[in-house]
Amino acid sequence: MNAALSRLDARRAEAAEQFRTLGVPHRRVEAWKYSDLRVVADAGAVSNAGAARWTIEHCSDDVEFIDLSSGTLPDWVRTHLGALKSDSVMGSASLAFAQSGFALRVPRGKSGEVRVNFASVGQARVLIVLEDGASLSYVEAVPSGLEGLQNIGMEVRVGENAHFTHARTALASVKAVQIADIVATVARSGSYRLYSGAFGAELSRLELKLSLDGEGAEAHLAGVGVLADGTHSDVTTHIVHASGNTRSTQLFKNVAGGKSRVIYQGKITVAKGANGSDSRQTAKALLLGQRAETDLKPELEIFADDVKCAHGAAVGDLDVDSLFYLRARGIPEHEARNLLIRAFLEEAVSEIANDDIRAALWKAVEDALPRAMGSHP
Amino acid sequence: MLEIKDLHVAVGGKEILKGLSLSVNAGEVHAIMGPNGSGKSTLSYVLAGRAGYDVTDGSITYNGEDLNALAPEARAAKGVFLAMQYPVEIPGVTTMTFLKTALNAQRRARGESDLDALNVLKRVREKAATLKVSEEMLRRALNVGFSGGEKKRLEILQMALFEPKLAILDETDSGLDIDALKLVAEGVNAVRSPERAMLVITHYQRLLNYIVPDRVHVLSAGRIIREGGKELAHELEAKGYEQIVKDAA
Repeated sequence: MNAALSRLDARRAEAAEQFRTLGVPHRRVEAWKYSDLRVVADAGAVSNAGAARWTIEHCSDDVEFIDLSSGTLPDWVRTHLGALKSDSVMGSASLAFAQSGFALRVPRGKSGEVRVNFASVGQARVLIVLEDGASLSYVEAVPSGLEGLQNIGMEVRVGENAHFTHARTALASVKAVQIADIVATVARSGSYRLYSGAFGAELSRLELKLSLDGEGAEAHLAGVGVLADGTHSDVTTHIVHASGNTRSTQLFKNVAGGKSRVIYQGKITVAKGANGSDSRQTAKALLLGQRAETDLKPELEIFADDVKCAHGAAVGDLDVDSLFYLRARGIPEHEARNLLIRAFLEEAVSEIANDDIRAALWKAVEDALPRAMGSHP
Repeated sequence: MLEIKDLHVAVGGKEILKGLSLSVNAGEVHAIMGPNGSGKSTLSYVLAGRAGYDVTDGSITYNGEDLNALAPEARAAKGVFLAMQYPVEIPGVTTMTFLKTALNAQRRARGESDLDALNVLKRVREKAATLKVSEEMLRRALNVGFSGGEKKRLEILQMALFEPKLAILDETDSGLDIDALKLVAEGVNAVRSPERAMLVITHYQRLLNYIVPDRVHVLSAGRIIREGGKELAHELEAKGYEQIVKDAA
């Protein structure tokens, strides 16, 4: 057994130990205040969740692909898998218990596209490495109608001048617990772009901890949530500006119908010496249902002197003046509401530069809106 | 076309219109003038069907139909158009998309077929040129970043595009400089026709130099206190509202 493999085993053992010690997160843990995982899953449900099935729908030739359950792992996988430090318990659970998963590497200067479908519940681990100057578009889909626990733990290393685009669409599953835990590092002048479409589950959580580790590194996150009755969606981000002149933007727009609950927690840390950093975060929620709830919690932690940080959060109902204006021009109420909701979401969706990804997200939004608006049971 | 009888309207439980009667025939332009707080905007909103403007007594009959029983969108489809004093800004919806959606919604409600994008564009361009509404404005989000004058011009463009039977202009002159006012007035005059009635609501006589009314009504404290021809507007300008109200008392 070589050193890298034993280090990987050690990391897995450590992760298992962390999970055993801390257990399934619950509402008295600050980061899980609004999403009580323990109500819907116990420790056994997590450790025995089994392997999540996934299918790679597309993988460019220039992208190296390794199935983590297949025999001997190459050195780069053994070196990096589980190596990014995370204090996330569910991330640890996927590292410790997932018997399924894959690793992707884009070599220096190459670019590619990968599309993956996580077709079943269970756990999976994903490692993505972008070498310097590489770029990858990673499109991830979670289908609707799942039942049980899905926990996907992901680590992403974005090299210098490398650019990672991550599009994740998780369709609605009222009987599923949907967790995605991402830990990422971005080196000098690299970028991470996340586009998320969250359509809710019994409990759904997308957690991203991203560190801008090199000068000029950038993170741009945009997401929409469209929730129907009986669903929940939690997007929790923590961006660390570890280096100077780093930039991050976040824009999350959520629409909550029926009795649903939508959560955004966004923490920004600007480390000591990370001068010239610029961060912006905006989260807005439109509550359509009488019993819909939202929790929007932006948080700043600044240890540097010369930084720009802006954040804003807003909750509301559709604007009555706008609604009247459209109706007075002949647009029926239902259509007018639909138009205004789409207009509200548009700002976040339009962040997506890629036409196909944007169109696919719009399609998912269109499909989800009737239920969120309460016109379907 | 429009017959308002003894109309009482309350907003938030407070009575604003207190027995207003008015009759407008096709082809006529009527001006409603009145000081602030007289109920001018309430009249325009109640005609367009805004929620929260409750008819507590009296009636509004439009082409033989009880207008108050109709939803705002049904009124629009039947030819009622309100050019608003404060057109709303709607980020995320382009002006062109809005115009197409509204025009086709009205057509659908009347049992007519949808117009395709090209056809709508052609119609919009025709009207846009005379009102100096640029292609760039049409591509922008509805009213977002428009100047006061641009917003009012877009209201008039909509009036021209939708070809209403009854057009209500609520303080269309407010916030316009003289050039913009002339442009808007020309746009309004261009759609005057024997089939169309107009209700021009204004605080000042100025607009009526350019849109010459057939009848002028003075609204005060929720009632029409005087009526007359176009010369009444000039009398108002000379004497002021206070004197006219005193004279009528």
